[in-house]
Amino acid sequence: MLMTKFKAAAAALAFAAAPAAADVDLQFYFPVAVGGAAADTIEELTAQYVAENEGVNIEAIYAGSYQDTVAKALTAARGGNAPQLSVILSVDMFTLLDEDLIMPFDDFATSEEDKAWLNSFYPAFMENSQTGGKTYGIPFQRSTPVLYWNKEAFKAAGLDPETPPATWDEMVEMGKKLTLKDDAGNVTQWGVRIPSSGFPYWLFQGLTTENGAILANADGNEVSFDDPKVVEALDYLVDLSKEHKVMAPGIIEWGATPKAFFEGQTAMMWTSTGNLTNVRKNAPFDFGVAMLPANKRRGAPTGGGNFFLFKGASDEQAKAAFDFVKWISGPEQSAKWTIATGYVAPRPETWETETMKAYAAEFPPVLVARDQLEHAVAELSTYENQRVTRIFNDALAAAITGQKTSEEALKEAQAKADAILQDYR
Amino acid sequence: MTADRILNTAGAWALALIWVLPLAYAIWTAVHPAAYEARFDLFAPLTLENFIKAWNAAPFGRYFLNTFVLVTVILAGQIVLCTFAAYAFARYQFPGRGVLFGLVLLQLLIMPDILIVENYKAIRLLDLVDTIPAIALPYIASGFGIFLLRQTFMSVPKELEEAAQVEGMSTLGILVKVYMPLAIPTYLAYGLVSVSHHWNNFLWPLIITNSVETRPVTVGLSIFSAIDSGVEWSVINAATLMTSGPLLLAFLLFQRQFVQSFMRAGIK
Repeated sequence: MLMTKFKAAAAALAFAAAPAAADVDLQFYFPVAVGGAAADTIEELTAQYVAENEGVNIEAIYAGSYQDTVAKALTAARGGNAPQLSVILSVDMFTLLDEDLIMPFDDFATSEEDKAWLNSFYPAFMENSQTGGKTYGIPFQRSTPVLYWNKEAFKAAGLDPETPPATWDEMVEMGKKLTLKDDAGNVTQWGVRIPSSGFPYWLFQGLTTENGAILANADGNEVSFDDPKVVEALDYLVDLSKEHKVMAPGIIEWGATPKAFFEGQTAMMWTSTGNLTNVRKNAPFDFGVAMLPANKRRGAPTGGGNFFLFKGASDEQAKAAFDFVKWISGPEQSAKWTIATGYVAPRPETWETETMKAYAAEFPPVLVARDQLEHAVAELSTYENQRVTRIFNDALAAAITGQKTSEEALKEAQAKADAILQDYR
Repeated sequence: MTADRILNTAGAWALALIWVLPLAYAIWTAVHPAAYEARFDLFAPLTLENFIKAWNAAPFGRYFLNTFVLVTVILAGQIVLCTFAAYAFARYQFPGRGVLFGLVLLQLLIMPDILIVENYKAIRLLDLVDTIPAIALPYIASGFGIFLLRQTFMSVPKELEEAAQVEGMSTLGILVKVYMPLAIPTYLAYGLVSVSHHWNNFLWPLIITNSVETRPVTVGLSIFSAIDSGVEWSVINAATLMTSGPLLLAFLLFQRQFVQSFMRAGIK
């Protein structure tokens, strides 16, 4: 609705100011993974840009979930009607490259200023955005997992409510104190909850990184699923339920996790920073946010979506798209986006703005995710990404449900992934 | 009552309960505040807030109109095309009839999702991207509809057609006045299947449309699946009830006709 009104207004304006140069029309697909209001924010920002830049029309098109968006973009591109811009999961970079659909941003960064801008993002976010020395993705809606803890539950268990677990061992110890049972022996409150439904690899990558393993190489054609450090990490995850009994057994639902936290069914949870605003609004108790606990090191994956520039755009279109991405990643725009959604602003400059400083002063937990970035690594991403992560997810599920040992499951996954990635080496 | 009968009744009740449970849960969460999503309390406060929130999250008024137009266009197109095709296959002898009918049946074996890219190319060639006809076109020549109507038409006694011919009725007249009225149960059953399928269709409409003016309710519904920020079951269920409401209502109103026509048309 907004866009239509806006286009009409822009058209009227252009008509009045004729003869202006020919208008550049852009299509821009975006997914929404944090609730309806995010779509409005993107449309508002786009409308603002169009208002400020005469001669450019941008149609911001909501394209469903991340999976829907990539399906829509791939279909449209194969049908000869690619959008000029799209926000797609950063891990889909190799898939898009394999399909020969995207262009590097470097080609359009001509001025010194543009080049400086390309280098102004947090390096952790760029790991998933660059390959072969070229930048194919510009971070936009990016996140990272963090640990949320219930301060009241900590107090009730005789723990210091201001100190979250800093290491794996501490998480187990605290978890044991936090796991409560009723008279019949049923658990009423678990110590910790690390969801494992849907895409277990993401949170699990927190554990592997902390244990010093890197799951995939930067070229996206080599994985190390059967690395002993990965096996050890999986053993730790399985033992949280099996050995230490501080986490519910079996597959833990991702979507129901915040709810379980609010209801006091778990004292700690691991989930995305994208949940921060939700937790702040709905947790009926005082809560804290911390970096994931360390083992050999601190660590976490990054996650979320990047801007991609699609082939098939004319020179003017590509330049306009580049300019738009540069504008929307600007400090004020990006601050607005971060505050509206909880995603981590991808450039240090944003955190220097008064808007962001005021927000962080009022709500310090937003800084945790940013500070964790220096320990963060690229999210698991390879060629044939959907298939490879699926294999890995299945292996994790098999170990979590006790069908296979960690080592067996991961060895098999490695063999299957190797068979697929062979062609890309 | 015999033991057999008691067992039957108990089984039917058990199945009905299992079937109705998700719906009951959806209604329960939709009319109560979010705090009661996972807690059952008979005296929990009732609220319509979830519906208001859901309604305002997307331009649902427009989406409903689009969906309504969409399912009507598809059904109308299907009825016209399938009737003619089915009549030809049922009553005319022409060379290649068997092969052609085989091709129509082949369509039943192909998942429409496989053809998405080809369909997109065709729609783009016709310059119809982002229109309601674009969503409808790939589904109008329905193999299932042709097959179903052909079977029904073949069961119509030839004598009726001959009697009409003797009275001097045209071929079109025979089709409209003799065959179609006798196939009403089939049309009803097929209509229900078609309308509910296209009411619920999501991927193709999402891919082929870009603007609020053309998108159906399912696309509006999808913005509630917010995996990054935790799912709000109360709002999602309110939205689900809202979007499936018209279908549910229509089914309850015409339940008797539907059940009978399914039995006559032999769709299970």
